[in-house]
Amino acid sequence: MQRISIDPITRLEGHGKIDIFLDEQGNVADAYLQIPELRGFERFCVGRPAEDMPNLTNRICGVCPEAHHMASTKALDALFHVDPPPTAKKLRELFYSIFYATDHTTHFYALAGPDFVMGPDAPKAERNILGVIKKVGMDIAGKVLKMRHDGHHLIKMMGGRPVHPNWGLPGGVSRGITEEQREEIERLGLDAVEFAKFSLQLFTDIVLGNPDYVSMVTSDEFTHNTYNMGTVDENNCVNFYDGHIRVVGPDGQEHARYLPGEYQDYVEERVEPWSYLKFPYLKKVGWKGFTDGVDSGVYKATPLSRLNAADGMATPLAQAEYERMYDTLGGKPVQHTLATHWARLVELQYAAEHWVELARDPDITGDNFRVLPTETPTEGVGCVEAPRGTLTHHYTTDERGILTKVNLIVGTTNNNAAINMSVKKAAKGLIKSGKVISDGLLNQVEMAFRAYDPCMACATHTLPGQLPMEVRLRNPEGEVLTTYKQNLT
Amino acid sequence: MRTIVVGLGNPILSDDRAGLAAAQILEKLLQDQPDIDIVLDTCGGLRLMELLLGYDRALILDAIVTGNPPGTVHLLPADAIASQRSASAHDVNLTTALIMGRQAGGNLPDDDHIHYIGIEAEDIQTFSEECTPAVSNAILEAVSLALHELGLDPVLIESAEFDPSNYPIRGF
Repeated sequence: MQRISIDPITRLEGHGKIDIFLDEQGNVADAYLQIPELRGFERFCVGRPAEDMPNLTNRICGVCPEAHHMASTKALDALFHVDPPPTAKKLRELFYSIFYATDHTTHFYALAGPDFVMGPDAPKAERNILGVIKKVGMDIAGKVLKMRHDGHHLIKMMGGRPVHPNWGLPGGVSRGITEEQREEIERLGLDAVEFAKFSLQLFTDIVLGNPDYVSMVTSDEFTHNTYNMGTVDENNCVNFYDGHIRVVGPDGQEHARYLPGEYQDYVEERVEPWSYLKFPYLKKVGWKGFTDGVDSGVYKATPLSRLNAADGMATPLAQAEYERMYDTLGGKPVQHTLATHWARLVELQYAAEHWVELARDPDITGDNFRVLPTETPTEGVGCVEAPRGTLTHHYTTDERGILTKVNLIVGTTNNNAAINMSVKKAAKGLIKSGKVISDGLLNQVEMAFRAYDPCMACATHTLPGQLPMEVRLRNPEGEVLTTYKQNLT
Repeated sequence: MRTIVVGLGNPILSDDRAGLAAAQILEKLLQDQPDIDIVLDTCGGLRLMELLLGYDRALILDAIVTGNPPGTVHLLPADAIASQRSASAHDVNLTTALIMGRQAGGNLPDDDHIHYIGIEAEDIQTFSEECTPAVSNAILEAVSLALHELGLDPVLIESAEFDPSNYPIRGF
């Protein structure tokens, strides 16, 4: 069997390593993405007070610390058996909507946008955000930076610190907002609603207006008929902060609907010898390997999965975009990986609208934003929808609140099996009888997992700054025949 | 010349905290320098660029992995490293972010006025609040180099009252 390796320079740089195995005919037999994992987090946490966790866990990740902070805070609510007052819940959800709008903006413009706006076959030098700016117009740079600036400003204002908030407490939050702050939040939220509309229009004009892109999005190479997971509210609409976790099958039928504390009844974590990262799957369906279909417990938890797992969006503009997406792509569920980018923009619209809704809520400036816990802590699970998938924090303590056990299922982990399947399909479409398209292979394999926006490790070093990869084509004896490099010196 | 010194890193990830430790020492040493701001952060790419807005000069301290012996201190120009620091494929590198920021009309330091001080790390994958010994021992060298780059007297270090081998970084 031949082997192609797509390698980062070293494991230390935090990037995945892709191994593509070829059969004797030079066609793809298997493909695996290996993700380096940071070590010893549970050991690091055990023995500490549980109240440290919202501030500790937001240091796990340099990309979505706000999501860890929120899941951890909710786990503390459960651990200390305390129900935050309505103002606290609404403040948290407002904060989280602002974070979502900011995060989805960065992903779409910095990462996904170049593939669509410039095209996957554009020269590498142009396939970046600067190429997007050049093609779409200089104004776009200012719009993206303003959106990010507004989001970070409000996250700091509410959460106490930029990026790594220190705000969440069991039973509520550490401070509320004034009327003056509320007015600013509402005003910037209205700008965010307009920015989301602009982004969806851009997607419509550039992507949907180009039959080649639509064909690529809907191609079999980028399609997996798996289960889909997401959090829904009481009306089965998408909710990022709270609700039931709902799973729908490849046929669109509801498979499960459960509360975060019941996750172990529905999700099992599998270990593979070649990967540090676990492979969660649906317990009641079972693990059948890296395959899709109704009999395989593989599921996805992405922006697109959340839309598939829900019956709609809770705000009017997002609902209209939700309906347009499904009408265009042929109804539910949509299983095309690249449509995740479209779903992300629908979620951007929802996040911005919900941001404004919550800023206008009469409770939001209330001063009852924390209930002090009085019960003895035991065990607690907290879930939120991180931008990259359902995020679960599970803590157990002794009666003093000292941690004895910690388990996390992070967004990217949910999608581990599906990412591997996507990499394999992309490689299969590009490698035929040993013929490898070098740049196309690298970018399209990257596109396959980039749609999931995977966090491969957190706050580690990624020098020299672009995804460094090396493709090695090996003969059945393991000798290197050809080497392709990207972003390696 | 308005100057920003940015210490980057993760305070609970072994040697990844080295840049933060160096910046915190500088914060203590330079508290009487009105034109120098010290910032501790964990970011890269767009956010790092956004931190530099409004400054004439930037000095970035960070752990680095180049294959040199742990504790080696590097001084690098802006274009030598496209530091990204987010380990998802989620962000752009600093070079790209700087171009974008300038295109958007942002007031950013020239590339000639952006430098990195990199402290070669041994372990940036194990959760710990302590650096490895070689890296701990290099933190003062990085501080000294930073002072030199800022045009200040490295002798300032001798008056500091701290143990750099296990310097407590505030908060996590």
